[in-house]
Amino acid sequence: MKEFELEPGEHVVKQVRKHWFLFVAELLPYAILAVIPFALPKFLVFAPPLAPYAAFFDYQLSTNALAHALLGVWLLMIWTVAWGAFTRYFLNAWVLTNKRITTIKQRRFFYREVSSLLLPRVQDVTTNVAGILSSLLGIGDIKVQSAGAEIEFMMRGIPRPEQMRDIILKYVSGEPKTTNI
Amino acid sequence: MLDQPLQPFSFPSINFFSYLPGDLSAGLFTTWLLYAVFAFWAIYTLIAIYHWLKYSHASWIAFPAIAMHLFVSFALMSYTLSSNAPFATPYLS
Repeated sequence: MKEFELEPGEHVVKQVRKHWFLFVAELLPYAILAVIPFALPKFLVFAPPLAPYAAFFDYQLSTNALAHALLGVWLLMIWTVAWGAFTRYFLNAWVLTNKRITTIKQRRFFYREVSSLLLPRVQDVTTNVAGILSSLLGIGDIKVQSAGAEIEFMMRGIPRPEQMRDIILKYVSGEPKTTNI
Repeated sequence: MLDQPLQPFSFPSINFFSYLPGDLSAGLFTTWLLYAVFAFWAIYTLIAIYHWLKYSHASWIAFPAIAMHLFVSFALMSYTLSSNAPFATPYLS
């Protein structure tokens, strides 16, 4: 880890990211935008004034290089921005070591927050799984409060929050011999 | 589907390019649009790769993710420029 140096005797216990389902849900708008050019000819025929343009967007029939170029540009833009979303998803992480919890927030490019909370200062760990889908997929939040009360760590949308809470509490009460992870 | 026999496609008589200034042709517009999009792509990709290499903590996912992005992007660029990309065409037509 370059953003925080591990102390002697410190090791990473677990690193978690937002649940994959939330990431897929985040990609849904991009998928819809990508499908729009292919759906246009089917919708335009229902609007008589615009019907002549339907052939322009019918990429199977159209030999117009401009139509294909605009489609390629549209898909390239969407792909690039969606890949940026994946980059941000991957660079957001919570890292639990045997001595502290570190949260890394990549809000956008060139906007990164890294903060740590020492485990001896942890006073309360709360999990919250709300909703049918979250219960079925095991998605939830964890709130970690410190003794000082001014620091509160919130991990939103992580997989199996109960398991993460148990691991945190094991390390808060003293490093366990095995974690069965 | 159209119920008429297939005809060579011609751009509708009332089209977007008829509203462009007289000295700005469709070809010139398309050229500059492509320049702008490719410039945006290049800057965005460089910034994202910088973040991957600096902050992914040497994760094994970094290089496959970058490689996949470049592969898909070049396939789409090829399709954009030639209307015929070996990897993209089967999925786009």
